[in-house]
Amino acid sequence: MTTAEARTREAPATAQPARRTGMRAGRVAVALVLPLLAIVAWQVAVWVASPREWILPSPAAVAQAGWDARDRLWFHAQWTVLIAVIGLALAVAIGAGLAYLIARSRVAWLALYPWVIVSQVIPLVALAPLLVLWFPPFVAIVLLAVLMSIFPVVVAGVDGLRGTDPDLVRAARGLGASEGWTWAHVRVPAALPRLFTGIRMAAVFVVSGAVVGELVASDRGLGALTRLSAGQFETAVTFAGVALLALIGLALFGAVALAERMALPWTRRATRRSS
Amino acid sequence: MNLLWVMPAKGVDVPHGHDIRVSGARLALGDDPPVDVLGGVDLRAPVGEVTAIVGPSGCGKSTLLDAIAGLIPLDAGTADAGHDVALMPQRDALLPWLCLEENVALGARLSGMPARDARDAATRALQRLGLAGFARHYPHALSGGMRQRGALARTLLSGRSTWLLDEPFGALDALTRSEMHAVLRQLHAQEGPTILLVTHDIAEAVALAARVLVAGPRPMRIVHQVPVDPDDAAGTGRAVLDALRAAGAVA
Ligand SMILES: Nc1ncnc2c1ncn2[C@@H]1O[C@H](COP(=O)(O)OP(=O)(O)OP(=O)(O)O)[C@@H](O)[C@H]1O
Ligand SMILES: [Mg+2]
Repeated sequence: MTTAEARTREAPATAQPARRTGMRAGRVAVALVLPLLAIVAWQVAVWVASPREWILPSPAAVAQAGWDARDRLWFHAQWTVLIAVIGLALAVAIGAGLAYLIARSRVAWLALYPWVIVSQVIPLVALAPLLVLWFPPFVAIVLLAVLMSIFPVVVAGVDGLRGTDPDLVRAARGLGASEGWTWAHVRVPAALPRLFTGIRMAAVFVVSGAVVGELVASDRGLGALTRLSAGQFETAVTFAGVALLALIGLALFGAVALAERMALPWTRRATRRSS
Repeated sequence: MNLLWVMPAKGVDVPHGHDIRVSGARLALGDDPPVDVLGGVDLRAPVGEVTAIVGPSGCGKSTLLDAIAGLIPLDAGTADAGHDVALMPQRDALLPWLCLEENVALGARLSGMPARDARDAATRALQRLGLAGFARHYPHALSGGMRQRGALARTLLSGRSTWLLDEPFGALDALTRSEMHAVLRQLHAQEGPTILLVTHDIAEAVALAARVLVAGPRPMRIVHQVPVDPDDAAGTGRAVLDALRAAGAVA
């Protein structure tokens, strides 16, 4: 029986890689249909309606302007990436800490959790001018990025920590594990997949936070670039900056997903098997 | 299957242990309204024996095991099995983020064995249970039978002399299940733990236990006790079924 099982278990590992690559390329192609259609429609609309370029440049004009302004874009993009990465790191560290506190302590649950939620009802964008008033620009912008991305981390963390499979807890406690051991070795690892879902969302929000901060308070960063270029009717450059922001958000999201795959190999194989 | 005894002498002392004694155990769970789950449970499971509990679904068997293991306090009465208890939950409860060997080693780690020794002990226990080739596999890459065998190996490594097994083979197919019966019988013969085995399978209870306790529907009480006659499994099974019928647990 054991050898028969061994054979079945190992079968997935030997699936033909060529076919898998082919399927992946197919999936990417399907995913690209929509944006390509949108770009084509945009280009056609510009040909047909021929608006003035500073109102709506064509995709081709945007690409050209982006290429011509690549040094400027690169200079500003570095700054935005730096702020987004610092902001995300802080959001994850503070958010996970808060989640642990809120899930673990009833007092923290009652005293903190409602306010974490209420804090999200405030339109954080409206706080930007105040933060700029109180803090040096860099600090204000990072703070805004953290505020705009911490919420999904906290909520996902709390849900993950409170939603542990009771049988896992029972298994540990039934072997004599203490409450503290069970938190560290059962509840926390069991919460990681959900926490990562929150972090992926945070990775997207943090870029928005950084941009809002830069729009208000900075001469550097892609947020500042869009403000300045739009003010000078370099609309094509503005578009290029926005496109770059989308790419940065996507890259950050992908980086988190990659970190998740490396940190949680056990979930990766579980999903592959069940899909 | 050939089980080889490969535990070091220091790993597990010869189990001496302790009868499991429960008397007048009452417990209500939940708030609005509280549900009476244990309605005055009395039982004794003699040291070194396998005692089975059969009862209808939802009657409170898992709750009773939790109380015996000291995981939840009773409202009234006592449940005592000494401090030397390992509980194995109903569904397989290997931690999904640990490989099989790490999971098994947990039993020893939680009993205070240093990490290295626990790892070695786990390796030997896996060999002993026919899982040597799967030490590095994550639980989801194992079959249900292998996971339960791993969970048994972990219970074994806990070195506890009393095992509370909550429907350990409930999710397995008939073939794997009878194979697991042989594994458990052999472990019991070699280690001599006191085992309280919850099951919904009368044949399983009769095959493994020296006596079968029959529980009535919630709130749970032990309504009957059937000693197993090894020479007349069918007769014992009928007696258990009759007791369940009399308790109103089955039609
Ligand atoms: N926190 C709770 N609040 C209210 N009722 C509960 C609670 N926990 C368990 N119960 C009830 O207690 C009863 C006994 O549960 P338990 O899991 O001990 O039953 P069981 O005999 O092990 O069932 P099964 O055979 O399905 O495993 C169930 O009917 C369940 O609905
Ligand atoms: Mg149960």
